[in-house]
Amino acid sequence: MKPRVIVGTVAIVAFTSLLMWNFGNSIGSFVGFEEAEQSGARVHVVGTWVETMPHGFDRERMVFTFHMKDEAGEVRRVSFNRPKPNNFEDAESLVVIGTMRNGVMYSDDMLVKCPSKYNDASNLELSSNM
Amino acid sequence: MIGSIGTIAVLVSFLASLGALVLYFTSTVRDNDPSIEKIANFLFGIQGAMMFLASGLLVYLLLTNQFQYFYVYNYTSSDLSNVYLWAAFYSGQEGSFMLWILCGFMVGFSLLKWTSDEYRAPVMFFMTLTQVFLISMVIGVTVFGIHIGASPFRLTAQEFAHLPVFMNNPGYIPPEGSGLNDLLRSPWIIIHPPVIFIGFAMMAVPFAFALASLWKRKYHEWIHPALPWTLGANLCLLVAIFLGGYWAYETLSFGGYWAWDPVENASLVPWILGTAGIHTMLIQKRSQIAHKASIIFAILAYVTIVYQTFLTRSGILGDASVHSFVDLGLYNQLLLFIIAVALCGIILYAVRMKELPTPKDPSPLFSREFFMFSGAMTLLIVSLVIILGTSAPIIGRLFVPNPTPPLPEFYNMWTLPFGIAIAILTVATQYMWWNKYRDTETFAGALLTPTVSASVISVAAIFVANISNFVYMIYLFAAIFSIVGNGTVMLRLVKKSPKLIGGTVTHLGFAVLLIGFLGAAYDKPLLDRSTISYNAAVERGEIIDDDGFPVIQKMDVMLLNMHQPKRVGDKYEVLFTEASISHDNRPGEQQYRIEFTNLRNGRTFAVHPIVYPMIANSTGENISWTVDPEVNMGWLRDVYVYVSGSSLVERESNRIRDTHTTFQAVADMLTNGYEESLNPSINDRVRLAPGNSRQIGQFNISFERFVNVTEDELPENAIVGVKARIAVENLQNQHTETHDVLYAMVFDEGQSYVYNPVLELDAFGFDVRFETINTTTDEVHLQLIGIQENIEDEWIIIAIEEKPLVSVVWLGTFILMIGFSISIYRRWDDQRSRDRKYSAKNNNGKMKKETDGNKEEKPKFEVETTTI
Repeated sequence: MKPRVIVGTVAIVAFTSLLMWNFGNSIGSFVGFEEAEQSGARVHVVGTWVETMPHGFDRERMVFTFHMKDEAGEVRRVSFNRPKPNNFEDAESLVVIGTMRNGVMYSDDMLVKCPSKYNDASNLELSSNM
Repeated sequence: MIGSIGTIAVLVSFLASLGALVLYFTSTVRDNDPSIEKIANFLFGIQGAMMFLASGLLVYLLLTNQFQYFYVYNYTSSDLSNVYLWAAFYSGQEGSFMLWILCGFMVGFSLLKWTSDEYRAPVMFFMTLTQVFLISMVIGVTVFGIHIGASPFRLTAQEFAHLPVFMNNPGYIPPEGSGLNDLLRSPWIIIHPPVIFIGFAMMAVPFAFALASLWKRKYHEWIHPALPWTLGANLCLLVAIFLGGYWAYETLSFGGYWAWDPVENASLVPWILGTAGIHTMLIQKRSQIAHKASIIFAILAYVTIVYQTFLTRSGILGDASVHSFVDLGLYNQLLLFIIAVALCGIILYAVRMKELPTPKDPSPLFSREFFMFSGAMTLLIVSLVIILGTSAPIIGRLFVPNPTPPLPEFYNMWTLPFGIAIAILTVATQYMWWNKYRDTETFAGALLTPTVSASVISVAAIFVANISNFVYMIYLFAAIFSIVGNGTVMLRLVKKSPKLIGGTVTHLGFAVLLIGFLGAAYDKPLLDRSTISYNAAVERGEIIDDDGFPVIQKMDVMLLNMHQPKRVGDKYEVLFTEASISHDNRPGEQQYRIEFTNLRNGRTFAVHPIVYPMIANSTGENISWTVDPEVNMGWLRDVYVYVSGSSLVERESNRIRDTHTTFQAVADMLTNGYEESLNPSINDRVRLAPGNSRQIGQFNISFERFVNVTEDELPENAIVGVKARIAVENLQNQHTETHDVLYAMVFDEGQSYVYNPVLELDAFGFDVRFETINTTTDEVHLQLIGIQENIEDEWIIIAIEEKPLVSVVWLGTFILMIGFSISIYRRWDDQRSRDRKYSAKNNNGKMKKETDGNKEEKPKFEVETTTI
């Protein structure tokens, strides 16, 4: 074999392994609150906002607190260290990113699923009640 | 009725494209049969005309608010202006597919005119193939139980058949639509999506040419017509990426211009691969090598467009992206589309691989071809890294169940070194492209000046900007080196022939862009002193919450009271001066005025961030407030400000609360009677942090500091106590008094209560009570009993961020756009003159039937070198 080919192959293999190793480390896993509590690590939790439970912005600590129900149906308090994000109320689902401590999810990043792309029947439901 | 015509038009369009596909295939197999091609072209035209008709009908339905159609119901409401009703056409999946189809048709139509005879049929075959797949996404018919596509003309009654209102009355027409998302109600939506789809459609051209070249075994000539199209597609994608980034940064409060979101990556990867393809095509044009690479890149650029479309529209990204679409049931069709385009590429390439021209010797390490090729390969690696990251929901399953997208650091870390490599390669290649160097020594000699000057500038920049990260130093040097090197070549070329500077200008723009990106590493929130010390206390674990646990979250935002200046980041003094409501853009839109004074040079500026209610998503109980940031642009740094809450927002929410109504009624409430909210509520309390003061009418109240209390000053059984030293001044007669007011906790008979006696201020005509202390901010709350003045309680929660070098990013993007435009002009011109020569030859009857493409190419190549 030509030296060029050998060097090239080694470089590609080394590069790919390093890339995949790092890739594996930089992705996390979507989990539920229970698992988040146990792992204590930084995780992504998907869920929906529980409107009926207390929520609001605390001006003393500058955190937005609300309750979220994860996909397994567990409800936990979420403390988000920013004001309420845009589109929060009509999000189809929320992804909170952070760590669980003492039963509270401390989040510093939140994805709000874009609401423009889903079928909003709320108006029709309202009009049918009238 | 109109809906039925539209559905039929889409169906006819689909059938016509299928017919055209078959006929272009036949013509290609028969070595260009003009009579068949004529019919194929006609069918291709029918396809376009029908899609125009269908789109026209959909736009008509949108403009006339026909809410019985689901698409109209779902994306519009009657309050929208015509411009946004038009934009609603491509606000949903179905409409955006139609826009893409229309762009594809127009590109295909121009190819009919501008493609030489030998390539026309196969090129049109592949262009039509992409159209067939795209049209299939919007036909919405059921064949043998399989549902194909989602029709934009389906009825609201069908979509919501389960709702009682439709069960009772199938003919019910909703009086109002659910409205366009407010975030999309921005002038940017008029221009951003169409530019993307023009870019996507144009990127199909090199794909079609590359496959046609494989099919017809003409591996060389295709790059001449394909090159300007690829450049054009790249320019469109670049403009689209810029518009998207600017939109996200300026109005959507995404926090920055780039977030490595899958949808953003979807247009970046084809752009990078297109760029790589442009470079290999240039090598091929000049040196008759790299045929394989050009074909591969042309195929990959389009395949990645389809792949990323699949990722973002199939619902597979689901929770990974801020703005991915919800699955419309197109998963299988999209999968089929990506498999089809990929298979076309793989099979044709595999069949022809053996006979593709291969350079006899590998090009020497020291040659422009080698450098340029390395650059293209580096771009390939970068795009593979980004594809890997974007595909995390699929590929990540190798590592974890339910994978999340990678952290942004993954992308930053893996693109940065390649950015450095590309920056340096651009200089080496540009030098070798325009000059001949006998050996490495003379080449090194030529690069000496740019290297030395770039080093000097870099060292100066590192000192001035105080950069301590070693990797950033190298990165900065590479970018500056690239600016100096490409700049030198550009200046030389301008003297010779300005038409040729496209490449150097593009590289210059890229290098400027690299410098701009560095700024993002130094983004920081600007906070006032008390917030900074709070954050420090959090870090030390000293702050305890109500449940007795240490607080772990720091503050990124702060409170700003009206007319009370705060010093932020040791650089600015900020003052909140005004809150107002205007209904110019939408009902109930609020605007704030915040004045900045630069403490170093005394310069002032004001920003006007906006907060508005998203009417379409609001009910009386719950108004969805949205922030729209404002940026104060500067050459070196932007100051990025948004207001994320305020007393005005609270008063408005309270005023409208309990109106159980639809959003139209909320809009009505917002536009009527809002004036009462503009009056800040009147009470007799003020909050003051140590060292701060507040003017209330003719009085100035300041809280100087806390004073320790001796035991004999405290009442019996007191646990703890403190005094606040306050100074009160009557501004009319300059009479000033300083007093200490007491606050103590007393524990008596098993109960604790507050002891805070009223302090009478006879000289001022009111009394003071030390009501409470905010332990997190050290603010005292004072009650001013009997004061005749109004105390305005007007505050905002404000986030201020300093973002360095964002303007440099925009500058780099503009330079890139200019460079691409110059190159398009030049390559298009070349191609036109080549065509003229070709047809002139044809007319003279000198054109021989070509048997071997390579024989014909030699003289063309020499023509090419003389133009360079």
